[in-house]
Order: sequence, then structure tokens, then C-alpha cells
Amino acid sequence: MIKSLVMEFWKIRRRKVWTIVAALLFMQILWLLWGVNRMDAHELSQGWMFFLYQFPLLNAIMVPVIAAVTASRLCDIEHKGQMLKLLPTLMPAGRLFTAKFLCGAFYMLAVVLLQIAVMVIAGLVLGFAGNPPLDKLLYYLLFTMTVSITILLLQQVLSLLFKNQMIPLAVGVIGSFAGLFSMFLPPGLGKFILWGYYGVLMFVRMDWDRVTRITDFYYVPVDWSGFGILVVAFCLIYLIGRSLFIKKEV
Amino acid sequence: MFLRTIRAERMKLHHSPVWLAFLILPVLPAVMGTFNYQQNIGILQGQWYSLWTQHTLFSCYFFLPAIIGVYCSYLFRLEHLNHNWNAVMTAPIPVAYVYLAKLISASAMVLLTQAWIGVLFLISGQLCGLNLPIPPELPEWLFYGFVGGSVVCALQLCLSLVIRSFAVPVGMALIGGISGLVAVAKGYGVWFPYSLLSLGMRANQPGGAMQCSTEQFVLNALFYVGVCIIFAVLWLKKKDVVAG
Repeated sequence: MIKSLVMEFWKIRRRKVWTIVAALLFMQILWLLWGVNRMDAHELSQGWMFFLYQFPLLNAIMVPVIAAVTASRLCDIEHKGQMLKLLPTLMPAGRLFTAKFLCGAFYMLAVVLLQIAVMVIAGLVLGFAGNPPLDKLLYYLLFTMTVSITILLLQQVLSLLFKNQMIPLAVGVIGSFAGLFSMFLPPGLGKFILWGYYGVLMFVRMDWDRVTRITDFYYVPVDWSGFGILVVAFCLIYLIGRSLFIKKEV
Repeated sequence: MFLRTIRAERMKLHHSPVWLAFLILPVLPAVMGTFNYQQNIGILQGQWYSLWTQHTLFSCYFFLPAIIGVYCSYLFRLEHLNHNWNAVMTAPIPVAYVYLAKLISASAMVLLTQAWIGVLFLISGQLCGLNLPIPPELPEWLFYGFVGGSVVCALQLCLSLVIRSFAVPVGMALIGGISGLVAVAKGYGVWFPYSLLSLGMRANQPGGAMQCSTEQFVLNALFYVGVCIIFAVLWLKKKDVVAG
């Protein structure tokens, strides 16, 4: 398995897969820093919550497309080189599937870890009230990572099954759109859309007073049932996608 | 000759499901935006204008540019694969026709999408029971949206011509759309090609005038399309093809 994973990274060593990931992450950070550079005392007092509210929102817009692009780049090399005829004669197809997934998941993990690093550094530099809320940041890591790798997995299945990369990319863009919209609809609806889980698993809510124009953030209990559904969805997509890939005619 | 190139372009897309994405994409904001409008009817008091914002805001900034990126990537993917560049570059037509035929094909798709957005908007308004007359500016919003969308097409086609990967230009389209949002917010929307789509469709303030004059909007759009055409023609003329 380790060897297969090393091979995946070896294949993409000059493809600069990280560039588009880095560019989108850069946009996210710019957007956030643009929002925090004129915070007053009230906003600084709830700065950590502001970040934990904003990042899932931005993730819902950007990460599904990052995942679709990453998965497509990892899988498209095999289509272009007609390698799906050769590779299964050298290694089990299931192992190839897992290695590709782990390779893509590495990029998703890098995105979340960098986001958390930006949150902590920006929070400390700007002087947010209190220490970084470690437990909340760990929740953020767990939830964001789980949603991102589930979306990545779905994108990988589509990118491997369809030679025409238009299909997975279009699904990624449309799914991301549905996910973003579901965050503005009554809670519960997001649970029916995989891309809506950035919103479902958000544990900070915002209250905006129209009269005073003051925004208040507050923590809400984590939706563990939503997390459970997501984990089940991940397992199902993994099992079904892997077996479809193994049975696919090359 | 040019008409034949366009017909060839159409034949390449024959039976391709690419139009399906453009059919589905506007349905999402139409359903969810209308629902959101119904939920917040107390805050959104601009009737048709508020409904228009709900329908267009997210799609103009993030998702229409990205889906146009998908379409343009697909148009050039046909040439990047199967050694097709060899056939395309030796066809007895000026290289400019190759790019222009693709631009027309992509712009036609944007035009159809705009018409579809208009139809969905009218249906949603009827379902919401809006009693004021339909805004007279609607055809203008859709038309300028088409102009802005064509600029995005021209730019994305250039990216997909240069970048052989399918997915990378799509990611760049999303980055462009997000930067476009920043450009509009800062007041430089008309100078940034990706902002022209949302500016033309008046996604953020449908009631008032555009952020810039109409002449400037059209001039800038023509300028960007012109630059893209010149770039693509020079690229096709000077660069050797990579067929594979």
C-alpha cells in the first residue's frame, strides 16, 4: 500500500497539483483578512467564533471545486495515458483506488491544517479575546476534513468512472452551488445534500440585529446525528465506488 | 467557410451532454432562491427586484463562471485529445476561425442560459404571486449578462487553449469569479473581465443603474474579447501544437 501511495505522488511530481489548491486557499485567506482588518472591540471579543463561522461558509463555496479539480487531475492522467488497461495487471484495482484517494486526501488535510494555522496566527496577531479555543479548532478539523474527503471520494469515483471529465467537474460545481444555498434554507434540508454538510456541521451561528446593526456569534451544540449520516455516506460511497471501479470495463 | 467551421463545431458537440449542466444550474437558484425569498419576505421588500437578487447573486459570482469554464475546457479538450491538433491545424481554414467558432458556440450556450434564467425568473415570480408588473429592465439584464458571459467565455477559451488540463481552467474560473466579487465591491468591476457578468446582470442592485456607464461596459467587454481573440490567434500561429 505504501508503495502504491508513493507511486501516486511520483506520478504527479511535476504536475503541480498543489498550485490550484494553494491559489484557492490564498483567495480564502485574502477574503478573511479583508474582513478582519477593521474590527472593533466587540468584534475582536468574538473573533474566534467569527473565523469558525466564516471558514465553513467559504469552504462550501470553494472546497468542492478544489476537490473536483484535485480528483480530476489525479484520475485524468490514467485516462490520458490509457493506463487503466495496464495498471490492474500490475496491482489490484482496489489498491489503486485507495492510493489515489489517500493522495487526494493529503491535499484536503493540508488545506484544513493551513486554514487552522491561519486562524491561530491571525487571531493572535489581531489580538482576539482569549486563547485559541483548541477543542473547537479540533472539531473544525474533524468536521471539515470529513466533509472534504467525502466530497473528494465522490469526485474521484466520478472522475475514474467517466473518461469525460466534464461530468465530474459539472457535478462538483452544481453540487457546491446546492450546498451553499442549503445553508440559507431551514436547517435539516442540508442533510439531504452532501455538499451542504459544511453548513450542517457548523457549530457557530450568527445573529444580526437589523436595528443596532450589531452581529453576535454564539456556539450551538454539535449535530452528531448529521456527522453520523456523513460517515455512513462516506462508507457507502467508498464501498460502492470502489466496487464499481473494480468491475468497470477498461 | 466560417459557417462550415461553426457547423463542424456543432457536430463535435453532437450528443454531448454538456448542455445539461447549463439546464440544471439555473434551476437551483430558481428553486432555492425563490424559497429563500418566500422565507424572508419581511426583509426583502423589492418584489421582483429582490427575487432577481436571490436568483442571480451566487450564480453570477461563483457558479456561472465555473460552469462556463467547464464548457470551454470541454470545447478544447476535444482538440487536446486523440492527436486532434494535427488535424485541426492542417484543415484549410484560418486558425482564427477555430477559436472564433468555439467562441460563438460557447456564447450561444450563454445566450440560451440567459433566456432560460429569464423564463425561470418569470415562472418563479408568478408562483410567488408577485402582483407588480414584470420589471421592464429584465431583457436588458439578460442581454448585458450575455455580453459579460461572452467575455468570460473568451477568456476561459484562451486558458483552456494554453492549459491542456481539463480541471485547472475550471479552478481558475472560480478564482476569477471570486476576485470579480472583490473588484465589484471595490468599485473596479468594469475593469475586471470576470466582474462583467454580475455587473451586466445587476446581481447586487437590480433597481438602479449599472456601476458604470453602459458605453464603458460595452467598450470594456469588446476590448477584452478583442484581446483574447488576438492572443488566441497569435498563440495558434506561433506555438507548435502538442498532440497527444
